[in-house]
Amino acid sequence: MPGLTGRVLIAGVTTHWGRELAAALVGREGVEVVGLDPDRSGFDVPGVRFVEADLRSPSVTSVIAEVDPDLVVHCGILWYPEHGEPSRTLHDVNVIGTLNLLAGCEGVAGLRAVVVRSSSAIYGTSPSRPIFFTEEMAGELPLVTRFQRDVGELEGYVEGFARRRPEVTCCLLRFQPEVGPGLDSPLVRYLSLPVVPVQLGFDPLLQLLHPADATGALVRAVEGPLPGPVNVSPDGSISLSRLLRLTGRIPLPLPPIVSDIAARRLGGILHTADMYRDARLLLRYGRGCDNRRLKRELGYRLAFDSEGTARDLARRRHGREVPVATVTAGVVAV
Amino acid sequence: MNQPPATLPEGLDDALQLLGRAVRRARGEYREDEWGFDREFAESVFPALELLFDRWWRVEVEGISNLPGQGRTLIVANHSGTIFPFDALMIGTAIRRLHPHPRWTRALVLDWVFELPFVSYLMRRLGGVPADPANLSRLLDEDELVMVFPEGAKGFGKPFSERYRTQRFGRGGFIAEALRSGTPIVPVSVVGAEETYPKLGEIALLARLTGAPYFPFTPTFPLLGPLGLVPLPSRWRIAFLEPLDLSAYPPEAAEDPGLVFDLAERVRETVQGGIYRGLVERGPAFG
Repeated sequence: MPGLTGRVLIAGVTTHWGRELAAALVGREGVEVVGLDPDRSGFDVPGVRFVEADLRSPSVTSVIAEVDPDLVVHCGILWYPEHGEPSRTLHDVNVIGTLNLLAGCEGVAGLRAVVVRSSSAIYGTSPSRPIFFTEEMAGELPLVTRFQRDVGELEGYVEGFARRRPEVTCCLLRFQPEVGPGLDSPLVRYLSLPVVPVQLGFDPLLQLLHPADATGALVRAVEGPLPGPVNVSPDGSISLSRLLRLTGRIPLPLPPIVSDIAARRLGGILHTADMYRDARLLLRYGRGCDNRRLKRELGYRLAFDSEGTARDLARRRHGREVPVATVTAGVVAV
Repeated sequence: MNQPPATLPEGLDDALQLLGRAVRRARGEYREDEWGFDREFAESVFPALELLFDRWWRVEVEGISNLPGQGRTLIVANHSGTIFPFDALMIGTAIRRLHPHPRWTRALVLDWVFELPFVSYLMRRLGGVPADPANLSRLLDEDELVMVFPEGAKGFGKPFSERYRTQRFGRGGFIAEALRSGTPIVPVSVVGAEETYPKLGEIALLARLTGAPYFPFTPTFPLLGPLGLVPLPSRWRIAFLEPLDLSAYPPEAAEDPGLVFDLAERVRETVQGGIYRGLVERGPAFG
């Protein structure tokens, strides 16, 4: 294991991934974990020094300088607007938050690395683009949706910081959507609906990241960060139709206009401001990422491929899995 | 008194197997590769393609041994068909049926097709991949057999009066990828697909409304409605021509636009030559 020592500051420590990372790092020899978020209520990882501060406020910069971390991990980037919050919040948290975080890092002389939990949404999704995006393809494509622009902007800030401070390793992890039984995200809630509305005539090819791999890759990157972007995506793909079959959900194909209206209604049900454009596009055309850099350069060994993630979701939901052979044999024996 | 039959009648047995498969597929128990290719689905439509191959178009195949049985390979063929890319399906069928080492072919498909409902995932399940250099590069790195039609929509949608005249071979992107990855190129000429849907003209308004690159009319389509989509039973001939070995060039040769253009032109001329020979050998299209 690479020698991870020193003080690690986790921004967005109360998010699912911030908590997972903190739990994985706490108690390691020579590692001190400091968590940063506006509100500590409900945070239950012992051994973490909690600093209450809001990344959106400029005063956070002096807080970071005071903590004087060796390593900064940014887990505070939000993928989707929470119910009842305007999507403006997303922009503030993601873009302004990152800007303030980096401003704080400028004042830390001994900083070794910055690791940012970013999103593969930066590549966008469209039928006329490569099936598997490699890391260098992010700059070549127009940024279409608001979230995509936000991710592009915040990654730009991180790259700017990396240029100004060449001695600091700045690692951008671009995560594919995670799906798992222990997770609570609009995608997981969507896949848990008894009847799942899908877009008539489209069957996106998806890559589903297992939560264990999402945490594992994040920890791996903190232990030995690489400069530049790294896609965190599983091997293989799975179509939405097969995913729904494996997890025993009934698809409800809706024609375009109806599905747009349904998406807005669904946004209410899934506690998201609305099924925002990124998700609608993703569930129409799908998106894949090349993970060779993750495997070869970062040296992370994935435990699950996309199909494995889907099967794990199905298994834990149903409690047990009926072997196919039994069902087939049963049908033939009738 | 009759003994009960030891085995189920053949028809019933088949039906039960089919039912069993349907149940298994309904539970998601089948394989898809990372490109969304569904082998079992492709196998299930194969008998229909064989019927078209044998009975409808009576396809004659020449030079199948020019195609390597394994390793990364790039098939470069002329394109026609106006409405359906039966040329790609028939090349794939020829390889599955006649090659000593049959394998599945991936086809690079005009990316506009992947915006279409239903057609998009049908294409994908049969081995279609959006035509993008990054996709081609990855497929070749995975040692796949890939089929490209560098003429693209210009070849596919050319009027009947220009049949069998190859159009410009794109910008030679396929040559650059073959050079970079050290892939042999097998030129293939297809004769017969031009007569399946003879394109007489275009309906510009319908093209605009549907967002299609063009909206064709043929002697039967759209005049006869869906019935007009039945392809004409022309006689076909597919020739797998002498492979072009690029291993003498270093991978950096892919950066030389002059060389790439020359090689693309050489492949085009080979395919065009194969078409002329094929036309003579085939004789009249119908009858």
